[in-house]
Amino acid sequence: MDVWQQLIFLLEGVPLTLSISILSFLAGIAIGLPLAFLRVYEKEISFVVDGYEKLFRGIPEIVLMLLFYFGLGPFFPVPFGNAFFVAAFVLGIRSGANQSQIYRGAIRGVGDEQMIAGVSVGLSKWRAIWYIMVPQVFTFSTPGLGSEYALLIKDSAYVYVIGGLAEIMTLSLRLKSIPPYDVVTPFVLAAIIYIALTFPIAFLLDRWGNKRKKKIGL
Amino acid sequence: MTEFVMEAKNVYKSYNIKGEKKGETKLVEAAKDVSLQIRKGDIKLIFGPSGSGKSTFLRCMAMLDKPDKGQIYLGDECLTEPGVDLNKARARIGFVFQHIYLFRHLTALGNVELALRQVLKLPKEEARKRALEALTEVKICDCANKYPSQLSGGQAQRVGIARAIARNPDIILLDEPTSALDPELTGEVIDTLRDLAREGTTMLIVSHEMPFAKEVAEEMIFYDEGKIVETGPPSLFFNAPNTDRAKQFMTRIINKTTR
Repeated sequence: MDVWQQLIFLLEGVPLTLSISILSFLAGIAIGLPLAFLRVYEKEISFVVDGYEKLFRGIPEIVLMLLFYFGLGPFFPVPFGNAFFVAAFVLGIRSGANQSQIYRGAIRGVGDEQMIAGVSVGLSKWRAIWYIMVPQVFTFSTPGLGSEYALLIKDSAYVYVIGGLAEIMTLSLRLKSIPPYDVVTPFVLAAIIYIALTFPIAFLLDRWGNKRKKKIGL
Repeated sequence: MTEFVMEAKNVYKSYNIKGEKKGETKLVEAAKDVSLQIRKGDIKLIFGPSGSGKSTFLRCMAMLDKPDKGQIYLGDECLTEPGVDLNKARARIGFVFQHIYLFRHLTALGNVELALRQVLKLPKEEARKRALEALTEVKICDCANKYPSQLSGGQAQRVGIARAIARNPDIILLDEPTSALDPELTGEVIDTLRDLAREGTTMLIVSHEMPFAKEVAEEMIFYDEGKIVETGPPSLFFNAPNTDRAKQFMTRIINKTTR
């Protein structure tokens, strides 16, 4: 295979890499956002959130993937026997822990005054959070969210350990082991593809955030 | 049926602040046994030295701060009783903040509309109509689609007032609505408040705008060190207050405004 053929072979992994990363990013929002607000506004249970964050930030995701896929998969084939699910699930719960910390900082940045103003017009606490805090929290989180997205694209490479998912990393390992047994080109190409996937979206996220920040006067 | 729109009975509120030395805390008593009644159409003005606790007391009235002791009544409903739906009560109380606190991610119209949609649950068109009416009332309709960052301080505070009045609350509480504004911008906010007064809006205002007080307030309340020191019509305070403390304060504040 020449370089172009190798590149085309690897590009076939892009949709899978992207879908694992984007799904886990969305799962991270769904987990991280409520956790962050619970941590700030429900002081009594903040230790649960702290525990969750410490646990999933402390264990390497490669270990989690192996544990869920090979440890739980045989006993609960639905859903843990599904490699794609395990990949998005593990990256999602880890990202939830990261995003919880990002949002917590953003909540502080938005400020308690916005919350008080919301409550003063008759909104309940959780409605004020939804209508007033959440939209601003995303704006405040953008540099952090951009790097979180980049992190997920990169960490999706770990799913090669559970096999069976033809994403970029798995495919480049496959290229290495077929003629001409080139051990450098596949990985250089993979590196270029990963950069191409992370950089533009992180850049766009940042630009969106800056625009919104300007609009709300920050 | 009570004759009062709102009433505070023996309200006590204190909080701790950091003292001068490290690890030291200081107890601030913002309200010591404060009682106050407001009838429909009343305009009462609370004034007094900064740090006397008047803003905290006003926040207690709206239950944005919980009083430690005492009761707050909104009509017949006791808001300090456990189990009261405070969100419903706050929907009937308009609150205007010293530092305005507009929702930064929403336009002027969005700021006013939000509670109409999500608290009063009005249909979209009606909420829009009423929000625009409120903005017209404070003469700022042309800024409806601007974001708070694009408004001047005076414009922003008028949107803040529109946000408070759009729900037709029973009473409006205003916490130093002009004191964070540049001096040349206070006039437009005062004009707006004057219009509200003319329409018979029930208001409890913390403010030091003395000419305005003289003109619209039925009663002025001199508040110092967590207590109501003296109460009376503006004429009392502008001529001869009974207490020395009020006398001193009035002299100082009148000298300041005429300088």
